[in-house]
Amino acid sequence: MTQERFISLVQSQQEPLRRFLLALCSGDASLADDIAQDALVRAYVASGSFLGLSKFSTWLFRIAYNCYIDHCRMASVEKASVDEALDLPSADASDASFRYQQLYQALDRIPEKEKAAIALFYFEDRSIKEISAILGIPSGTVKYHLSMGRTHLKQHIQL
Amino acid sequence: MKDIDEFLRENKPLVKDKPSFILETRQRLEAVEGIKAEVDRQRSHARIVLIVTLATGLAAGVLASALAFLFPVDAASLGEGLWKSFRLFLESWKHYLLLPVAAFAIILSLVLTSDRNKAL
Repeated sequence: MTQERFISLVQSQQEPLRRFLLALCSGDASLADDIAQDALVRAYVASGSFLGLSKFSTWLFRIAYNCYIDHCRMASVEKASVDEALDLPSADASDASFRYQQLYQALDRIPEKEKAAIALFYFEDRSIKEISAILGIPSGTVKYHLSMGRTHLKQHIQL
Repeated sequence: MKDIDEFLRENKPLVKDKPSFILETRQRLEAVEGIKAEVDRQRSHARIVLIVTLATGLAAGVLASALAFLFPVDAASLGEGLWKSFRLFLESWKHYLLLPVAAFAIILSLVLTSDRNKAL
């Protein structure tokens, strides 16, 4: 895959990819972007092995998820405070700020797999099958993580 | 009371527009290309060194064997004495002595080549 072709594919996927990692990093945009950059370099190096058996975005998200897991394993992540991580528009800031603060704090408190399943299903509108491919777990396990994730989030989010 | 599904769907994390993101990606990919090119260049260089060394070793071996067969040693004509004995030894075993030298050169080149790849 040429560099230009890769960049053109990435351009359409960069926002969803960064949003997915932002959710995984519980609102730490700087960390999310760093992991996204690492994932893109890894994907480019491995682009010769992309056979097209799945969608490019699914393949890319899988690499990004693995990068995130590697990051969590290698470093004892100093999780940024949610207040610092928030970067919200100024309009109706108070309401939105409160909602996002709740969301990120809640995401920070649930297990990684549940967080990833929730982020892919609700924020990226991915199907169970796609989530299964991205996380490398069976569909039934994805449903279980989604269910547990919802239950855990309910405990931390004031609806 | 809002359902958790509704809450999650309505509150997707907001990604700040960052035009420099693709630019940074492009710069990193350029760096990767540079590293790839350097690795390829080093590998190509190592391959050439290996081939030249093997060819040199083979030529040295063939030359040593040819000399040994073309100029057989007349041991009786060398006479007595330490220096003459040494010369006699060298003359008698020259075709065997050149082979370890050639083998050493080959092994040395292999070791240097493998060290170079390790460093990359």
